[in-house]
Parts: sequence; C-alpha cells; structure tokens
Amino acid sequence: MPPIMAQISDPKIAFAYLRPACVLLTRAPTVTNVETLSAQLKEVNDATLQQLQEYVLFPLRFVLKVPGPKNNKLVQAVAEAMSHVLENTCVQSWETLCDLLSELCLCLCSPTDPGKAADTSEELKLAVLRCLDALLHAAYGDIVFKLFEPNMLPGLGAAVSLLLALGEKEKSRDVQAAALKCLQALTLQCDCTQEHVVPSLEERCAIGSTMASFLPGITVAVARIITGDLRQGHAVTIRAIKVWSRTVGLVMEDDQFQVSEPWKTPPPDLGRIEQLIVHRTQDWVKSTAGKLSVLLKKIISCTSAHQHWRVRLEMVELDDHLLARCSQALGECVGPLLEALVGAVNDEEPRVRKRCEVVLRLVSQRNQSCSSSRSAQTFTDVLSENLHSLVTSLPRLMRTSDDQKKLFVLKVFLGYLKVLGPLVSVILNSAAHLERISKALMQVLELDVMDVRIVEERSYTATLETSSGTNDSYTAHIQRKHFLYFTDEKIISVLMEICQTLGYYGNIHLLTDHFLDLYQQSSAYRKQAAMVLNEIIRGAAGIAVATECQGLETQVLGHSATQEDLKVAVVSVVEEYTSVNNWHLITSSEETDRDRQDHQLFSPSRLLSIPNSNVGNTKANSVQLIPSSFGTVSSSTPTSAIHQLNSNIWQLCIQLEGIACFAQALGRDFRPILMTSLYPVLEKAGEETLLVRQAALGSMWDISNSCGYPSLKELINENSDYLLNDISLNLQRLSQHPQAPRVLTVMLTHSDCSLLPLVRDMVQDVLMALDLSYDHTAALFCSVLHALMKALARWFPSSCGRTSKSARPKQTSLHDEIPNIRQFLLDHRIQKELAEGIGVEEDSNEDLEVPPPLECEDVEDIEGPDVKVELPSHLSITKDVMERCIHLLSDPSLRLRLKMAKQRRKCSKGPVFVFFSGGTDLDAVCEACLPYLSCRQPIRLQEASVSVFQHLIQVDPDAFWFTLNELHCPSSYIPPHPDLLPVQLSGMCRPRDEYSDNVLKLLREEFGSVAENSVAASQLMN
Amino acid sequence: MSRPAPSPIYTLRGAGGPLNTLHFSCHGRDTPLLFSGSGKGAIHMWNLNSRRAQKIVEGHSGSSVIWVSTLQATDTLISQGRDMQVCLWDLSEGRSALMDSVWTGSVGFCQPSMLETSPGTRLLAFAGQQTEEPDSGPGPLLLAGYEDGSLLLWDVTQRSKLSQAKAHPEPVMCLTFDTNCLRGISGSSEKKLSPWMLDRQNNLQLQECVTLVNPGVSQLCIRGDGKLLASAGWDHRVRVFGWKKLRPLAVLQYHTDMVLSVAFSDHQDPRQRLLAAGSKDQRISLWSIYNEGGDTS
Repeated sequence: MPPIMAQISDPKIAFAYLRPACVLLTRAPTVTNVETLSAQLKEVNDATLQQLQEYVLFPLRFVLKVPGPKNNKLVQAVAEAMSHVLENTCVQSWETLCDLLSELCLCLCSPTDPGKAADTSEELKLAVLRCLDALLHAAYGDIVFKLFEPNMLPGLGAAVSLLLALGEKEKSRDVQAAALKCLQALTLQCDCTQEHVVPSLEERCAIGSTMASFLPGITVAVARIITGDLRQGHAVTIRAIKVWSRTVGLVMEDDQFQVSEPWKTPPPDLGRIEQLIVHRTQDWVKSTAGKLSVLLKKIISCTSAHQHWRVRLEMVELDDHLLARCSQALGECVGPLLEALVGAVNDEEPRVRKRCEVVLRLVSQRNQSCSSSRSAQTFTDVLSENLHSLVTSLPRLMRTSDDQKKLFVLKVFLGYLKVLGPLVSVILNSAAHLERISKALMQVLELDVMDVRIVEERSYTATLETSSGTNDSYTAHIQRKHFLYFTDEKIISVLMEICQTLGYYGNIHLLTDHFLDLYQQSSAYRKQAAMVLNEIIRGAAGIAVATECQGLETQVLGHSATQEDLKVAVVSVVEEYTSVNNWHLITSSEETDRDRQDHQLFSPSRLLSIPNSNVGNTKANSVQLIPSSFGTVSSSTPTSAIHQLNSNIWQLCIQLEGIACFAQALGRDFRPILMTSLYPVLEKAGEETLLVRQAALGSMWDISNSCGYPSLKELINENSDYLLNDISLNLQRLSQHPQAPRVLTVMLTHSDCSLLPLVRDMVQDVLMALDLSYDHTAALFCSVLHALMKALARWFPSSCGRTSKSARPKQTSLHDEIPNIRQFLLDHRIQKELAEGIGVEEDSNEDLEVPPPLECEDVEDIEGPDVKVELPSHLSITKDVMERCIHLLSDPSLRLRLKMAKQRRKCSKGPVFVFFSGGTDLDAVCEACLPYLSCRQPIRLQEASVSVFQHLIQVDPDAFWFTLNELHCPSSYIPPHPDLLPVQLSGMCRPRDEYSDNVLKLLREEFGSVAENSVAASQLMN
Repeated sequence: MSRPAPSPIYTLRGAGGPLNTLHFSCHGRDTPLLFSGSGKGAIHMWNLNSRRAQKIVEGHSGSSVIWVSTLQATDTLISQGRDMQVCLWDLSEGRSALMDSVWTGSVGFCQPSMLETSPGTRLLAFAGQQTEEPDSGPGPLLLAGYEDGSLLLWDVTQRSKLSQAKAHPEPVMCLTFDTNCLRGISGSSEKKLSPWMLDRQNNLQLQECVTLVNPGVSQLCIRGDGKLLASAGWDHRVRVFGWKKLRPLAVLQYHTDMVLSVAFSDHQDPRQRLLAAGSKDQRISLWSIYNEGGDTS
C-alpha cells in the first residue's frame, strides 16, 4: 500500500487536476485513460470528490454508453473507478441513481436477452456487482425509496431477475454470493458493516408492497439455490438463506398489515405496469403463506441436517427473523419454522445451540408476554398442534426410521416442550394430549426382554462387597437397558430429558396419577411407566432440567411443584412400587434355584476349596462359581417364562432406580421416607439375581449420597431401627415375608460393630424364629447366621492376629514369641476366666430351645456374689449361634448339614472362637462333628468334617491331638525315661474302624510325622 | 377366622427397660407423640412420624416410672415414679425442666388419676398410705381399686365413701371407667375381667365376669369412642374386646414378655387411631386395628 499522500481538499484545485484526464477519457475511451483518471481520483479527498461526483462520473458513464461491443477490460476498469467514487460519496440525485442502476445492469446482462447474464469474464461481473453494491449503499435515503414506486416496477424487475440469474446460474461462487448480496442491498435489507438507510414502517410498507410483485420469483429461485448443489459452498447457501428470509420478512411483515390498508390507489397513468402491481389482500397473504410453506419445508429438510454449522446457524437466524416479524402473516409456515427451531435446540455445535436457545427464549417470551392476545393463542395452538401430530407419529417413526432420524424427531419433541414452557401444564390438562404423549412414551420405551443372560446371571456371594468408600465398583456393572425400538444411547437420554421436562413444567400430581394409572393398568406398560415416573419426579425437582433450559424459565416462574407436592408424589409412587404385587416378583424359577443350589454345593471346586480357604478366597470362590453349567436348565424352561422373569428383573431394577431418583429429588427430605423404602431396597440387595442386586446396591449408594450419609454404613446404622423393626415383625410372619433374613444379612454386611447392641436384640428374634421353624427355613437362616459370624469376625479383628498367634505356637518360632509372652499370658488369663465362666452354665447348653442367659455368674470372682460378669455381646451371640449349628448338624437334610458344617468352620475361623478354647463349647463342637469323620457318612460330609477339624486343630492343637488319638491311635508311645508313666490312650491298639482313615489323615496332615509329635505329646501328658 | 393374625404396624425399640406406662398426645399437634415410662426411670417422648425417641427425660433418679400423662393444651408432662415423687415437667420449646414435684409416700404400684375440672384447674388423686387405683367421674367422684380386690367409690368433696364392691378375690391390678355409660371394668392377677355399673344412686353393681385364657392383666383401656376395650396380659398378649358386650375380637401377639401397658391414641382423625402396647421385653408395639375403613370384626 502506497504511503498516504496529502489528499487534495480544495475543489478548485481538484477540478483543475482531474479535468485533463476526464476530457481525455471522453475523447479516447481506453483502459489507460480510465486507469489514469482512477489513480487521480484517489488523490482527492471525499468531500471534494462529492462536489465533483457528477463531473467525474460523466466520462466513465460515457464510456459505458458508447454503442457497440465493448472491451471487457475497459468496462471492468470503468466499473472499478466508479466503485471508488460511489464508495466514497453519496448519490443525491434520483436520475443518477436510476440511470446508473440501469447502465450497470446493462453491463451485466446478455445483449440479446436482458433476463440472462452476459457471457463476460468473472472479474468483470464481480467489478460491476461491486459497483452496483456501492451505488445502492451510496443512494441517499430520500431518493432510494423512489426505486419502489410503481412506475419503477419494470426496471426493478429486470434488476432482480438479472441478479437472481447470476446468483443461481453463475459458476463462480464469488459472483453468486456478490449477486445475492446486491439483491439484499437492492431491497434495503443489506446486513454488511456499512451504514444503511433504516426505512420507517411506512417506507417498509411501500417497499414491501412493491417487492410483493417479485416475491414468488425471488423465493422460488433462492429456494432452488439453497436446496441446489450441496457442494456449492456454504457462503452461497448462507447468503441465499439470508435473501430468502429478508425478502419474506419484508413482504410478509405483520406490522405492515396492521398499520393501514396495505395497498394505495395506484396513480392513474401506469398503463400496463398496473398489471404488475400486487395487492397484498388477506387472500393473497394466505395463499402466499401456503406456497411459502412448501418452499420452507424443502429448505428446512435440506438445511437442518446440513454439514456446515454456519448454514444451520443461518437457519436459526431465518427462524428468528421470520417468527419475530411475520408469525401471523406466515400462518402455516409457523409450524415448520418452530419445528426447525426446536430441532436445533440440541445441535451438536454449541454456537448453534446457544443462538437457538436465545431465539427460543425470545419466542417463548413473545408467546407468554402476550398470552391474552389472539396471536399468541394461535401461536400456542400451532405449537400444541405440532406437538400433538409429532407425538402421534412418534411410535411409527420409532419403528420405521433410522436412529439418526429418531434422534432428530425426539429432539424436536423436547424442543416443543421447552418452547411451551409452563404452557406444557396447560396442554397436559387436555386429556387427548396427555393420552397421546403417555401412549407414545409407553410404546417408544418398550424394553427388549429377550436377553436370556439377564435371568441367568446370579451372584452367590452373601452380598456384594462394597466396603470401600466409593461406588465405582457397582457403577461399572450397571446393565444397559435394551430397548425394542432403538439402540443409540443418545436416544434414551433425550427421552429421559423429555420426561424430566414434562415433570418440570407439568402438574406433578396430574402426571404421577396418570402414569401410576398406566402402571397399574397393564403389565405391558408397567416398566415404561415406571421409567417415566422416575424421570418426571426428578424433573419436577429440577434435576437435569434447570441447567439445560434456564434460558427459557428466567422470566416466568415455570415450574410449579413445591417440595411438599414432591413429597406427596414420591410417597405415593414408592408405596406403589414397594407394594407386594409389584415388589415381590419372581426373578428365578424356584426349581432351577434348588437344582442350582445342589450343583453349587456339590461341585468339586467348591469342596476342594474348603481346606485351604481363608476369608479372602471364600469370596473369590463364590464369584468363580457363577458361570457354572446352566445350559440344561435354561433350555428346559419355556421361553415365555424366561421372558417373564427377565421382565420382572427389569421392573425391579427400574423401581430400584426410581427410589434412588426420588431420593435425589428430595435430598434430605427423603430421610423420613426411608422408614418405608429402605427395607425393600435392602431386601433386593440380598437378591440372588445379579442385576437386581446391583441395581439395589446402586440405589443404596444414591440414597445415602442424596440423604447426606457419607456411606452405606451410616445409611444403615442410622436407620437400623427402622430396618430392624421391619425385620423383627416380618420374622414373625416368615411364610409371608421370607426375605426378612436376607435384609439382616445385607445390613450385617454393610455395617459395623456399632450395630451390635441392636443386633443382639435382633439375633434373639432370629434364633427364636429359627427355633420355631427348623423344618422349612433352616437353610434360609443359615445364610443369616453365616453373615452374622462373618460380620462379627470383621468387626472384632484386633484380637485376631494376637490370638491366632498365641493359639498356634507351633507355627511360630520361639524367638518371635518372646516379646509376646506377656500378652500371651494376659490373653491366656482372659481365656481361662471366660472359659470358667462358661463352664458354670454347662447345663443350660443342653436345652437348645431356650436361649441361654446372656450373663453368667463367675463363682471365682472374689468381689462378691452380686457382681456379674457379662459375656461380651459378640461372644454371647456366637455362642448362641454355635448351639444352633450343633443342633442342625443332625438335620436330615444333607444340604443343611453341609451348610452348617461350613458355618461351623466360619465360627472357628473367627477370632472370637478362640475364647472358647478349653471350654465346654469346643468339646461340644467336637462332639457334634466327630460322627461325620465316619467313613459311613457321605463323602462330602466327611470332607467338611475333616475341614472343621483342621480349623479346630489350629485353635487348640493339643486338645484335638488328644481327642483324635483317643479315637484311634496308630502308634504306641514309649516314655523316654523309665520314671515317666507310660502313655495310655483309649485309641491305642484299636483295630481299624470307620473313623480310622480320617483320623489318620488328620494326624498326618496336621501334626506332620506322627512319631515326631508323639514325643512332645507324651511329655505333655505328664 | 381365616384372616391371618394381625401384626403391629411398627414397633419402638430402645427404651432400655420394661414399659410400665404409655400415654398418647396426638390431638391437635403437628407431630403425634407417645410418652412412655420405663422401669429404669426414663420417660421417652416418641415422635410417631419419625418413629424415634425425640426426647428422653430422666426424672425419677433411676426409679421405675409408673405413670405419665400430659396436661391438656399445654406442653406439660406429669409423671409418677417409684421414688415416691409425682413430677411436673415443662416441655415447651424443647425444654425438659422440672416445674414441681409432690412426695406421695406410697411405695405401691398404684397409678394416680387426674381430673381437669376447668382449664387451669386440675385435681390429682394419688395413692397415699393406702393403695388405690382411682378414676374420675362427674361429681367429682373417685373410683379406687384396692389390694384386697374391692372397689370403692369416693365423693371427693364430701370425703365420704359412696359405694363398695368386692370385684376380685385377688388385688385389683387395673381398672378403667367409661364416663359416658357409667360403666367400668377391672382386672386382677386371675383369669377374669370384672365389669361393673354405677347406678343412679351411685351404687357399684358387679356384672357378669369375662373369663380369659391366661391369668393376669396389667392394664385396661377403653378407646375414646367407647367401642373397644384392650387388655394388657401377663401372657404376652394384648386382647381386644368389644366394649358393649365384651365380645372378644382379637388377640394381638407380638411381645415376648408380659405386656404392662396399653393405650389408645387420641388422633383427631379416627382412621389414624393407634393402639400401643408396652411390654417387659422393652418394646412398644403399635397397632392399627378396627379403624374406620379397615377391619370391622
């Protein structure tokens, strides 16, 4: 760029400076001369140039007016020179404007056919179009409107059609875009950065009235451009959309129709021109709107899925422009416009989304601010009609179209709800609407229950371990729902958002009542209705809705549900969910259940794992067992039954999720509802079906988070009174409530020792219930007792290391033992005292029906007879449980006996057990288990019994060495010194009997070489 | 009766002692309350909405609390303990302040009786040197049950005995009186409930006894509408009778030890009415029975 010279500011000097070049150009129209003048023009400042405008334009226009074919280069140079002048000056004379317009148009059009573009170079066309644009921008406000007087119609028409032809037919994108921009400028609708004339309403009426003549031509041609070649580049498409929307906006503007009668009596001397004038009567408006809507639909279908976001953004602008100006005149176009707009609400491009939200907000504002007026009424009507027809066609679309289309349709659905805002509530009051919407949701949300795996997946662990503080472990397992009509995850999230929006704006009582009705009405709708209910209540609480469409609700208090309303709704839905018929659903066929249990118990892996199991790997075992042989079972079960089970499982999962949703919705206000809802959830957390269990655990986590408990432990501990109340009541009616023990199991698994005082109370209930119904429910109780022992072992772990160490001296070297001697002795004293304490109440152990007293008198206590030593709660509980175990070991049911043997093992592994060493209880255990060492017993029971003994030996090796040797002693012991008495064991010299094999096996495996031990033993005996 | 036995709608645990006495305060309150007095000296104020103890008043220095009641329309609690004290408590605004106490000198188990003659004026009858179990009638008259099994009707203002009847061979454990039909009933440690009438001349007339399955009744309570009578049995059971004909209606089985007290709630809405039973097993059970819209017989 050359350095800016001081420009000539004196008109006289400028005139003198420019005159020679002008004269020369007039005489000899050559490119050089034009360029000379052009260069000189740039040295004159704008004000001076304005004064000399007519003078300098004359030679340039003269060049164009010379008849005959013209040199392209020359015309281009002239156009560029004129552009410079026009860009820097104003056109004040109507004649200049009018003549220049026609002269420039002549340069563009074909000499033979003025409607077509000339076959000239691209550069020339661009230069002329630029000049034309400059001219239109330079025209003074008081003359430019003359362009739209009726007698200008032919000239204007020629210009319009020429520009349209350029815009449509031209190969160069730049020319197309420039032509379209000129068209905008021509109708005073330019949106560039320069200053523009702002027409008043009256002036707009005049322009609109004239442009009405060209509306069909412009809209049809531009629509062709928009919907034409998709590869034409977004710039042209955007420009075309602009032209379309501005033109329509100009001609169909509502305000123009309201001001006065929109057409004036035309001047009488128009002649044939009069035929060109269009009168914008009501009929004309109506029919035009109809035609426009056809075009609009084409345009929308082409652009709403356009690849370039700027095009989609421009469509939002079009929606905005037309909805803001002509929503009444456009009549039936409003529907498609809104549809396009609401469809863009969820555009993937944030800029489009953002703009769309703003536009929607404006739309709904306009809609609500004048809700009394007729226009708003029709607007709402259009929206609700649109919504109605969309919802009506929704099920069909969901069945037939592809996921992309479904997603779009649902987004539009959502968009309508958002635009309607609080009016959703009004619409839902119409029974027809509510019915349609709910039926559509019911059909769309139908689940696919064909998946057999759902039914088969089971978990045999007592409860899933979620002792860690996070809930990641379970979320990873959450099963995806499979829907019948779609697979895309995005679709379900939009559907959920639809439900939330309904809940947010709708009347919560109406909605919950309606969907609860559907839920109750038909099992076919139950799962869907529950899903909808869950989200509606979340939505009503403002969850997931508030952030999304905050733009729409700022000015109107959209959402009506108070916390009290919510509570009432939640209570009624929870009540329905957890009612017996909807909660106690069969999720596994009873028969297969039993088969499986046997399978599980007798599968070799299970039993092989017993001898070397520890706390950690019992869990692992049970997990590994899941994929056991199931093929036979499933193939023999009728498919429909499987589907029913599958459906039940999903229903439970959805309801469990629902309870979590409600907790989210109410926050801490959900706490009182835990009274009735926590027990059912825990019931399902103990369910065998994996999916249900996972859902229940997930629900528990959500509830504890929502209610402000740091973890499941606090959730359970702080509501243990409610839980235990229900457990205790239900234990008394076990036939109707067989799940009660399970709930206790779950409680124990997730809680800590602070629960002990309450549990102690509870265990008495459990044991009493067990005592009352050994026949039917013993197996069920086994799992509870097992969980109880496991929990106790977990709650009192501190003594574990210590006692196990002291109890197994033979496994630690003497050196390690020295620092612990003091501790050992202390422990030993405690054990001894305890053992003696228990010894006193030996008699009561015989009577199994009566729970033994929790306290025992310590005869050796010198402090006085009134002071009673109370056995620690966990010890007394363990003791009570053990007594049942001993009793049940003689149960006729093999499975039960095995379970009990396992239970026994659990007890003996527990740290508490060691306190009984030396006491009568250990003897009782031993006594109970000994018969099962017999080779006449089933092999599994023998193995279990051996396993029990292995653990007992860990606790008190000497005592059990003695016991076993009393039963069968393989070798005789010779004292190392004659002074020592010979060892006499009753098992000595006994012939091989039913016990020999197992006893020998135990002695060999647990005490190593028999001979080596015998020395130690004999010394001990002395 | 093919219907399954009814079960409590919920239970309240954690009282930490036998539950000697129960008193509902549900009328005209946002939060229905149940007061209980335990054998270990604690008075629990149970919130029946949250089903949790809202407040625990330790008032009688660890001695058994044998009677609790509230004064109408005020947040005032009155209690009697075996420390031979009757205490008056201010519970307003979450307080539990001792306002007044009276030394009774009675070591027995007899519960006092309170008559609110007009707002702000109340008469309290408690056992003094002799053991008595009183109830109030118009007059004011006072009914008292004695350890020799007899019932006495006293005119309080005249300080004279109006009538006497030997209702039981054993000590009277409990009695209740329906002021609407001038009819009462008393229980003892035997297998009988003994109903009686008060005629126009204020004479006590014994009626035909009702025989129970197991002996021993701790408390009797008539529902506010005069339709039901509940008995707290030593056999761990609560029995429900129709009050008019004393027809046995139901046996409520839940507790694992003697039932010591029963009470009907004073809910404004009769459908919400509850029956509470407190037992030696340290639990309170709450039952919703024979309410309108529910079971009828």
